[in-house]
Amino acid sequence: MDLTQIRKLIKMVDESSIAEFVIEEEQTKIKIRKPGANQSAQAFVPPPPVALPSAPQGAPAEAPKAEEPAEEKGHVVGAPMVGTFYAAPAPDADPFVKVGDRVAVGQTLCIVEAMKLMNEIESDVNGVIKKVLVENAKPVEYGQPLFLVDPA
Amino acid sequence: MEKLFDFERFDIKLEAETIGRKFYYFDECKSTNTSAFEKTEEAPPHGGVFFAERQSEGRGRHDRRWLSARGMNLTFSVLLTEKAYFNDPPLVGFAAANGAAQAVENLFQLRAETKWPNDVLVGGKKIAGVLPESQSSGSNVERIVVGIGMNVNQTDFQGEFKILPTSVRLELGHLVERERLLAETLTLLENQFEKLRQDPALVVHDWRNRCRALGDTVSVRVGDETKTGVFDDVDDRGRLLLKFKDESIETVASGEIVA
Repeated sequence: MDLTQIRKLIKMVDESSIAEFVIEEEQTKIKIRKPGANQSAQAFVPPPPVALPSAPQGAPAEAPKAEEPAEEKGHVVGAPMVGTFYAAPAPDADPFVKVGDRVAVGQTLCIVEAMKLMNEIESDVNGVIKKVLVENAKPVEYGQPLFLVDPA
Repeated sequence: MEKLFDFERFDIKLEAETIGRKFYYFDECKSTNTSAFEKTEEAPPHGGVFFAERQSEGRGRHDRRWLSARGMNLTFSVLLTEKAYFNDPPLVGFAAANGAAQAVENLFQLRAETKWPNDVLVGGKKIAGVLPESQSSGSNVERIVVGIGMNVNQTDFQGEFKILPTSVRLELGHLVERERLLAETLTLLENQFEKLRQDPALVVHDWRNRCRALGDTVSVRVGDETKTGVFDDVDDRGRLLLKFKDESIETVASGEIVA
C-alpha cells in the first residue's frame, strides 16, 4: 500500500462515522483510530446497572490497544506544492542528499517541479537525513512528507 | 566600446511601478536566474530585474543550455519575494508567457500564442521561453525567480531544436529596439503579477485565450511515458487536461508536449 492509498483511507475514515478502522494485507497492518474513539465507542455501551459490581472504569473489554507504530521522531520536510519530486539536479547526477547525510539550514534537499517551475527545497533545520520518503521522479501532493530529518 | 544597452531609453519607456525599478545589468553572468537567487547582505529586492547581455551557463529546463548571442536578445530574470504573489507559484510561468506574448503583439503586431506551459510562439516558432524557479525553506516558498529569454535581433540559430526558433527581427525583417521591448514586457508582467495576487484564475484565463492548441491531439511526455490524447483544456491551476478516447481525463502538472 502506498502513501496515496493510505492518505485516501485516512480521509475516508475521517469523513465517516467510523471510529476505528483496521486493514491487514500481506505485510502491512494499518490501524486508524480517530481521536476520542474510546469515548464515542463507550457511548453506545449501555451503562452497567448500578447494582452490579461495575467493571473498572475506562477499561472496556475491547479497548483498542495503542499498537500503531510509534510516530517516527524527527522534523518532516513537506512538499510546498503539487508536482514531481526530483532527488537530483539532473537525470544523471547524484542526489542532493542521501540517508545519513548531515544537512545544514539552507542546504538543497530536492526539487519539486510543476509546469516547469523548478522549486528548490532547502533544509530549514540542521540535522541528519533519517528517511527519504519519496522516490525520484514521482508525483507529490501539497504537504506530502518528503524527508524526515533528525534535528541535531 | 560598443553601446549595448541604452538605460535612458529603457527608463523612459518603463511604466511599471515595481518590476524593473531595481535593475541589475551584467555584461556577462552565469545565468540571470542564478544572479537573482544570490544571497546578499541587503534584503532581496522584490521586483528586481537581473539582466545579462551574455549568460555563460544559460539554462533551460533540466539544465538544458539556453544559447543567446550577445547584445541581440533579451535575457533577464525577475525576482519576487512578497508572499502575496505566491498564491500559486507554478502560475508565474503562465504570467510571464502572457506578458511576453502581449508585449510582442502590442509593439510589433505579431500574433503571439502560448504553448503549454510557458513558451511563446509566433507562427509556430519559439520566440520566447520562460524558466521559473523558486526556493523554499522547508515547506515554505521564500522566493520566486522567473527567467525570460526573448529572441529579438538574432537571425542565426545554431543547433538542433524541437521547436524551431524565430526572432522579432526574423518575423519583421528589420532590427528592433530591445529597450522598448523590455520596458513593455516588464510593464505587462507587473500587470500579470497583480492578477496573480488578486485571482490566479485571471492569469489562466489570459493564457487560455492565447493558446491555439486547445482541442488538438497532442503527445505529452510524463516521466518515462508518452501519452497521446486531446488537449481538452487547462484547469484553474494551469494544469493540462488530457482527454483520452474512452473520455477519461488525466490532469498533467509535470510534463512536456512533444508532438
